[in-house]
Amino acid sequence: MSRIESIISELSSISNNPKKAMEDYKKETGKGSVGVMPYYAPEEIIHAAGFLPVGIWGGQKSISKARAYLPPFACSIMQSVMEMQLEGVYDDLEAVLFPVPCDTLKCLSQKWKGTSPVIVFTHPQNRKLEAANKFLAEEYRLVREKLEKILSVQISDEALNNSIEIYNENRKVMREFTDIAANYPNIIDPIKRHAIIKARFFMEKSKHTAMVKELNSELIALPVEAFTGKKVVLTGIMAEPNEVLDILKDNGFAVVADDLAQESRLFRNDVPSGTDPLYRLAKWWQEFDGCSLAVDTKKSRGPMLMDMVKVYKADAVVVCMMKFCDPEEFDYPIYYRQFEEAGIKSLFIEIDLETTSFEQTKTRVQSFSEML
Amino acid sequence: MFTMGIDIGSSSSKVVILEDGVNIIAGEVIQIGTGSTGPKRVLDEALSKAGLTLQDMAKIIATGYGRSSVEEAHKQISEISCQAKGVFFLVPSAKIIIDIGGQDVKAIRLDSKGGVKQFFMNDKCAAGTGRFLDVMSRVLEVNLDEMAEYDSRATEPATVSSTCTVFAESEVISQLSNGVAKENIIAGVHQSVASKACGLAYRCGVEEDIVMCGGVAKDLGVVRAISKELKKPVIVAPNPQITAALGAAIFAFEEVIGANK
Ligand code: SF4
Repeated sequence: MSRIESIISELSSISNNPKKAMEDYKKETGKGSVGVMPYYAPEEIIHAAGFLPVGIWGGQKSISKARAYLPPFACSIMQSVMEMQLEGVYDDLEAVLFPVPCDTLKCLSQKWKGTSPVIVFTHPQNRKLEAANKFLAEEYRLVREKLEKILSVQISDEALNNSIEIYNENRKVMREFTDIAANYPNIIDPIKRHAIIKARFFMEKSKHTAMVKELNSELIALPVEAFTGKKVVLTGIMAEPNEVLDILKDNGFAVVADDLAQESRLFRNDVPSGTDPLYRLAKWWQEFDGCSLAVDTKKSRGPMLMDMVKVYKADAVVVCMMKFCDPEEFDYPIYYRQFEEAGIKSLFIEIDLETTSFEQTKTRVQSFSEML
Repeated sequence: MFTMGIDIGSSSSKVVILEDGVNIIAGEVIQIGTGSTGPKRVLDEALSKAGLTLQDMAKIIATGYGRSSVEEAHKQISEISCQAKGVFFLVPSAKIIIDIGGQDVKAIRLDSKGGVKQFFMNDKCAAGTGRFLDVMSRVLEVNLDEMAEYDSRATEPATVSSTCTVFAESEVISQLSNGVAKENIIAGVHQSVASKACGLAYRCGVEEDIVMCGGVAKDLGVVRAISKELKKPVIVAPNPQITAALGAAIFAFEEVIGANK
């Protein structure tokens, strides 16, 4: 097995088995894990405490018990998160960090059914004011305080600034990875790309950084490959389950860039420099744009996606619409119109973690590849 | 030269045999779809009608939901591309196609050469599809082919949900028990189908000529409701159930003569 293959296979197995990653971390450090609900929680605070932040993104699952707590029109990520809460899947977590930037999360945060303590905090939506930074820094101060109490640790400013640097380094390396991967679509297919990115949620970040860095340098040592298929940019919350990515791959599509909340949105901006770590983390939220969960009066998502199409010479945008995700559904007509005006081709596919039948997605993707 | 298009849908199977890319020698439909005996039966029927055998076919292309299970086919093409091809052949002025089949609703925008410019499909709910009409016809005890006639006698269309088949079914049952005339309920059912399809058409951008195809296009009540909603005339493709199979047969012909891009 080449070094490239072995790095990919190691990262893929981590991304497929978070439970084992948590156990390994405990064995190694004696410390446990803290769950991180979507979206945009300051993971750095957990990292600075020496605990493993673990992303909670639901999973492909049939839903039954969760029906008693959620309406049928709640998104499938949260349906599956609720189902797994009820099954005790998250009970090994020392705590769960719970941001609430959408209505579903707001409601779900008040009915956590697992046994771990939950720390809920709010991102301000009037983001461009200085007061928003102050408010969020204060929220983060409370998060830190609660974590210190639950985990029985002290989290110093120095440790936190250090963790921010480790995260920024990971963000930078991930941006490099997605750029490099775009040139090697035969090696980094859509499923591998996703697994390499997803492994970030279950690894201590400097370890992930080191592996991806090595992967990047192995990749760029290879000649850039000719690619005969079509290149796309993905946008949305996530492009799971893997069957969806498989369909893209089978129809000759390569993912050359993404604007997924589970992927590039998390690392396209660094946390800005400064001395007060909580203020720095808060400022990240102010500078972050182009996401349905962060009020954006300039509606920059469409132009941003169009830029990505240009920069990465993509043939089209694939909209991975999480079924019943109202923030994403509200954004769609705005950027769709911008695409139409600019002549950017786009495909709308529905993401539903509960589904086991992908015939419709296959038809859509095949038709789209025939259309391009 | 003969080519064949096979369209295996969720609730019907269709075959078209084409001579020299222009003459339809056979265009057969059987009202059962993928996973049944339908595909084999419709194939045999079309061949015997044309007096030909599979060996006479220069190329066979399969389309539709069950396209990957057709062993006789040399290739599969999605039903969206095939619908566009078939409809454009029959109605060259077509700009928007509304295709309502057994379990899918699609709106397709064509470019001036008949290529697919954009398309939208329904979400997974059966509301607005052929299956939705099946359910309603059973609840109402009115045959599918009589629905349009009932609709034409409606005086005050009832309101029927367009978001969920299960809700819609219980709405219809309660309207029946409240004594609402079947004519008015059926007009409401047709409007509900139309609003679902038109939602997709609006996303595509509505532009004339608008052509309807798929099994549901045979229900003129739906066609009228769509035309009313879009405030534009709607052309029903000739023999609307076989347009995708026809498109597949044309693709097969073009591939044989190397006319494909
Ligand atoms: S943003 Fe959308 S997908 Fe995410 S939790 Fe909220 S509703 Fe669900």
